[in-house]
Amino acid sequence: MNEQVIQLDIYRYNPEKDDEPRMQHYEVPLSKKGMKLLDALNHIKWHIDGTLTFRRSCGEGVCGSDGMNINGVNGLACITPVEGLKQPVQIRPLPGMPVIRDLVVDTTHFFDQYRSVKPWLQNARPSPEQERLQSPAERAELDGMYECILCGCCTASCPSWWWNGNRFLGPAALLQADRWLKDSRDEADNERLDQLEDSFRLYRCHQIMNCMDACPKELNPTKAINDIRRRLLLRRR
Amino acid sequence: MSPPERKMPLSPRLAVYRWRAPMVASLAHRVSGLILILFILFFLCFLHAVNTEGMLFTQLQEWMHSTVGQLFLWLGGASLMYHWCNGLRFVLLDAGMGEQRQSMRTSARLALAAGAVALLLMGVWL
Repeated sequence: MNEQVIQLDIYRYNPEKDDEPRMQHYEVPLSKKGMKLLDALNHIKWHIDGTLTFRRSCGEGVCGSDGMNINGVNGLACITPVEGLKQPVQIRPLPGMPVIRDLVVDTTHFFDQYRSVKPWLQNARPSPEQERLQSPAERAELDGMYECILCGCCTASCPSWWWNGNRFLGPAALLQADRWLKDSRDEADNERLDQLEDSFRLYRCHQIMNCMDACPKELNPTKAINDIRRRLLLRRR
Repeated sequence: MSPPERKMPLSPRLAVYRWRAPMVASLAHRVSGLILILFILFFLCFLHAVNTEGMLFTQLQEWMHSTVGQLFLWLGGASLMYHWCNGLRFVLLDAGMGEQRQSMRTSARLALAAGAVALLLMGVWL
């Protein structure tokens, strides 16, 4: 019986050896039904070419480490089934980010932008003895936002961020900004909105919607950005 | 002495990213907007010629019947219709309508289909 093989073309760049990035071809046996792309990358790493470098951790779409560009669209390798992918599978690092090595990108700027929206609870009132309570309805407001794992797939899919990443916060940071604006326990709405109200930081989003399309957790950063805009509009009234 | 630090290459972006319907719809909105700006400039020029210079009016009219002129009118008319359809889509999204993920994809496809129909109708009409 012929063994089924998965063909992959993977972006390679070793700063110690390569002048320019290049694509390298690999063939991996389809070892099991439901095999994920991360399994194929691990097979290459462990059995074919130990120099291939990529991030991974949980292997089940929770940690957000293995975000990459798969056949032209960003996604997580660990939850992407290889069956059904057009071959050879083109694998590149997340777009628009500096490449440290192979599929590993420098996410410093991405996380700096995340920190800039102050993604923590701001409430000046003294802490209660137990916890700050929310009604089920208030808690439900956070659905579709708290699930973000900061994999960077959305931000790295956004053309506005590719071209204005130094000033536009990008979908992931803005989704988190909206998450804290919608948190009933947070009291820094005005400060948060003041910080966001800027022609680049927020309004550079041109509704291209790649973020919504790329999110492996099926969240909707485009809607979150629109919600912030509407909140700003209501504040002006 | 340590070797000089090399600048990290930027990972490929637009050249490799697969075009999805919402992305195409958004880009087409901007392109059709640009065409409309040119179209309005031409239209203002045409109005000016109607009012003032008989010679310029005749030249512009001849140009409109040339292949390039017809192409310009074709693209201008189709751009107007597409920009209107997708503009309406953006206004509805701004108002919070059709913001579910699948709705966003579907409305992009519908706007693009409207653009394609507009191109076809303008081609037949001209």
